[in-house]
Amino acid sequence: MTHARRLTLAHMWLAFAAFGVAVVLGVWQMWARSPIPAPLHTPDNYFLAVTAHGVSMAYVLPTFVVMGFGYFVAETALRRPLPFPAWGWAGFWLGVAGSVLAAATIFAGRASVLYTFYPPLTATPFFYIGLVLVVVGSWVWCALMIIAMAQWKGENPGKPVPLAMFATVANAVMWLWTTVGVAAELLFQVIPAAFGWVDTLDVGLSRTLFSWTLHAIVYFWLIPSYIAFYTMAPQAAGGRLYSDTMGRLTFILFLIYSLPVGMHHLFMDPEQSTGFKFLQMTLTALVAAPTLLTVFTITASMEVAGRMRGGTGLFGWIKALPWDRPMVLTTGLAFFMLWFGGGGGLINMSYGMNAMVHNTSWVTAHFHLIFGGTVVIMYFAIAYAIWPTLTGRAFASNRPLRLQLWLWFVGMMVMTLPWHYLGLQGQWRRVSEFNYADPNIAGWGPWVVVSLLGGLVLLVSGLMFLWNLFGLHRAPLAARLPDIRYALAVHPPVRVPAALNGFRMWNVVVAALMLLAYGFPIAQFFLNSPPEAIVHRTVAGN
Amino acid sequence: MASTEREILRTEIGWAIVVAGVVGVIMVAIVYAGLAMHINPPSNIEHIDPKTLHLTGEFTEPNLGTKVEANGQVTVRMVATQFAFVPQCLVVPEGKPVTLRFSTPDVLHGILVTGTNVNTMIVPGYVSQVHTVFRKTGDLLMPCHEYCGLGHSQMWATVRVVPEAEFRPGADGKVSCDAR
Amino acid sequence: MEHADADPKVLDQPWRIWATAAIASVAAAGLLLGMIVLPVVQGRNAGISAFDAICRALGIQAGSPAMPQPPSAAQAIPVTQVAWSAELIRDLEQADRRNGEAIASQTCFACHGERGFAPDNRNPNLAGQSALAIYKQLHDYRSDSRFNDQMTPIAKALDDRQLIDVTAYYAYLTTGAIDPTTAQVGDEEIVRLVERGDQSRNLPACSSCHGRRAGGPTETPSLVGQNEGYLIAQLQLYRSGERKNDIYHRMRSVARQLTDREIARLARYYSTTLRQ
Repeated sequence: MTHARRLTLAHMWLAFAAFGVAVVLGVWQMWARSPIPAPLHTPDNYFLAVTAHGVSMAYVLPTFVVMGFGYFVAETALRRPLPFPAWGWAGFWLGVAGSVLAAATIFAGRASVLYTFYPPLTATPFFYIGLVLVVVGSWVWCALMIIAMAQWKGENPGKPVPLAMFATVANAVMWLWTTVGVAAELLFQVIPAAFGWVDTLDVGLSRTLFSWTLHAIVYFWLIPSYIAFYTMAPQAAGGRLYSDTMGRLTFILFLIYSLPVGMHHLFMDPEQSTGFKFLQMTLTALVAAPTLLTVFTITASMEVAGRMRGGTGLFGWIKALPWDRPMVLTTGLAFFMLWFGGGGGLINMSYGMNAMVHNTSWVTAHFHLIFGGTVVIMYFAIAYAIWPTLTGRAFASNRPLRLQLWLWFVGMMVMTLPWHYLGLQGQWRRVSEFNYADPNIAGWGPWVVVSLLGGLVLLVSGLMFLWNLFGLHRAPLAARLPDIRYALAVHPPVRVPAALNGFRMWNVVVAALMLLAYGFPIAQFFLNSPPEAIVHRTVAGN
Repeated sequence: MASTEREILRTEIGWAIVVAGVVGVIMVAIVYAGLAMHINPPSNIEHIDPKTLHLTGEFTEPNLGTKVEANGQVTVRMVATQFAFVPQCLVVPEGKPVTLRFSTPDVLHGILVTGTNVNTMIVPGYVSQVHTVFRKTGDLLMPCHEYCGLGHSQMWATVRVVPEAEFRPGADGKVSCDAR
Repeated sequence: MEHADADPKVLDQPWRIWATAAIASVAAAGLLLGMIVLPVVQGRNAGISAFDAICRALGIQAGSPAMPQPPSAAQAIPVTQVAWSAELIRDLEQADRRNGEAIASQTCFACHGERGFAPDNRNPNLAGQSALAIYKQLHDYRSDSRFNDQMTPIAKALDDRQLIDVTAYYAYLTTGAIDPTTAQVGDEEIVRLVERGDQSRNLPACSSCHGRRAGGPTETPSLVGQNEGYLIAQLQLYRSGERKNDIYHRMRSVARQLTDREIARLARYYSTTLRQ
């Protein structure tokens, strides 16, 4: 494994650079919303910062981590070189060009429409074109992952694809489906409007298309974390994966149920009917299944490790686990936060209770906890696990790594618990300031300040993470190149059914479910078109 | 501690049944709320042209605000525009069913009323509708909760919930904050 | 589950059957409950027929399956007759500026200047103003939505084509630049109102609509370099409600919150301050 080493490092460093910028902006945004006067505080600056924070965290960071980690897995799990590495670099540079273009438009103040766009507001077209380039770059990655697995299967007929690679390809397939919605919105509606080729657009349609992408994209971010849960955490703990089959099933369930559920983002919208909202809510309820299955399987795997290390009794195995290893520690912290985040999610998905929390800080808290507490913290753990292999150097001590992970955990809890509470009090989202003189709002002040402190802890942790990685590059070369190993199952599979070794059948299922869940909801805009709205360009002139 | 393949399979299946049970209970609760309490999301596929909203029909300026209809039903009509609500204060009676109707002539907006379950997006091209009963008197905040442009943060209105006895419509059936 | 000797096809078959059955039954349950059971039960209690309730749940009829639709009071008394449309915006882009200049030279130059700079401080500068803003005001004068002794008869004499051409002429002219040698610096309080607004008074920042690239309402004019006297007069007219051709109170609700002092200083700011 050295072929894709530079490719992985390039992707990951770009991702983490964007992360560094976004963390700083995030803290400033919280400061601006708090009762403490913040510098440079104008709506223009605030919404510029929110756009930059969202684009960096939601698009640049996860996309490049997923791609970089995918290239790494393709080489290390399949134990064969990555096919067509030149295409991998082409995808990378497309993504770099797109990210730079988008960043330039944002920081020039010409794209303050947030990362979720909100047409009929439109930014400069080059903002969207930048993002489309990032997506096109990621499509190259999808193709390479699918080809790598197909070639391996050709060379190893009848053998089960290693779980880490099976999951990576599940993510690639899911991402191809996921991006259809936002790509259609941008290419057919928003970009023509931003260029001034059209002066009106159908807002209901654009919201529906975006919702197609909006839930599945979260699972795209999340799957590397789950790959680490299944294949890296049991190994790091010195044990084995409890069940390989459950792992495969989990990733298949993610593929199927992350897509026909996006309408839960539109529960409070007028343009979709109660019937289709109910149908998609039913399907949404099922995405709890892969998460709960994972919690069980990984806990059982950890128990296997704990008992192999001599732990006894009902809970003795927990104490026996090697908590000093970053991957084990992070898995524990991430599971803890996943309970909170997942529990909040169950409330959001129930359309009656959704009315209580829609567009309040509760939702902001929920997705920061899922994203920061499960996605990003596992990205840290993955980076700590693979960086020695990538650089050929070893961390001198795990202590600064553990400190950084603990700080992230503490910061995330301190930041999001007050947000949950404030959301229930009705604190709304996406505003640059609150009028603390209003008696309805005055009581929120102290809680907002507490969450700001959590944000500061996150800032310290985020910068420490970059410092830890940066430091490793300057450490002396290790005598023996550290290799990466993925956890074996307690009973490694010899043969698996075709349904658990590929995606042909599941693509048909996804297509059928998408037709059922989104067919009429999208067709209605063409069968009985609503009146269109005038485009509001945030860039002067047509 | 399960160790044979069959035992592992059995524990996994057992857990899968628990998961199915959890999901099932949640769904039953939602269906029950729908059947017994008529909980519904605010769907309302009622088209209206945002470009002529101010020219024709029920959302022209003189029609906005709270009105007691001929059949006694209380309807509130409100426009969300960049960057204000019209009217900026509305009166509703405590403990009576109220229908809130919203639309917009320009971009996306959304509202919630603090301390209540009133929540809807306001999408150009549609009338958004919420049916509710306000249970407590007092002034509540109704902010715009969806990004609608740079003035979004300064966009909010007041909902004044008054005891039914103090809710007195004028000859035209209208009630406003100023008149009280 | 994994048997080394089993034929993969035989292994695969139960997976296909059971997975399909499970997924199909969940989807069917969702459809049955969401599209039939819930709306029919909710509709019955609200006095809505089962057919209507199901149509509402499917999204082919307006309204909630659980509530009757309110009666709609429709008595239109609009404050302006202008309605934006893609066609109108295109007409403004493709207007005949030369024709507009010819008309303007006869009717507009005296008060608004040859190059769009009004000699009298109480009249507005029009050079480089947004075409949408000029069109809206001319149209409003013509339809008696806005009144002015001079402007009303002039606008009424223009037909649709002429109105659009005159608009295009002024929009095309070069915007005036504030002379840096006489430019003033806004004090902190007024800059704050312009750039940040005042949330406690429901006042969005002036620049969130009037700033360049702001993305506010379609007909918003640019204010940079506008004449002080004109701005003061208009803000006062909005505040008193005498002028009310702003769609949905967008300016009346703002002006109502401003003090005399703020009006005077905002007008001074926009007429003299370099920025934006």
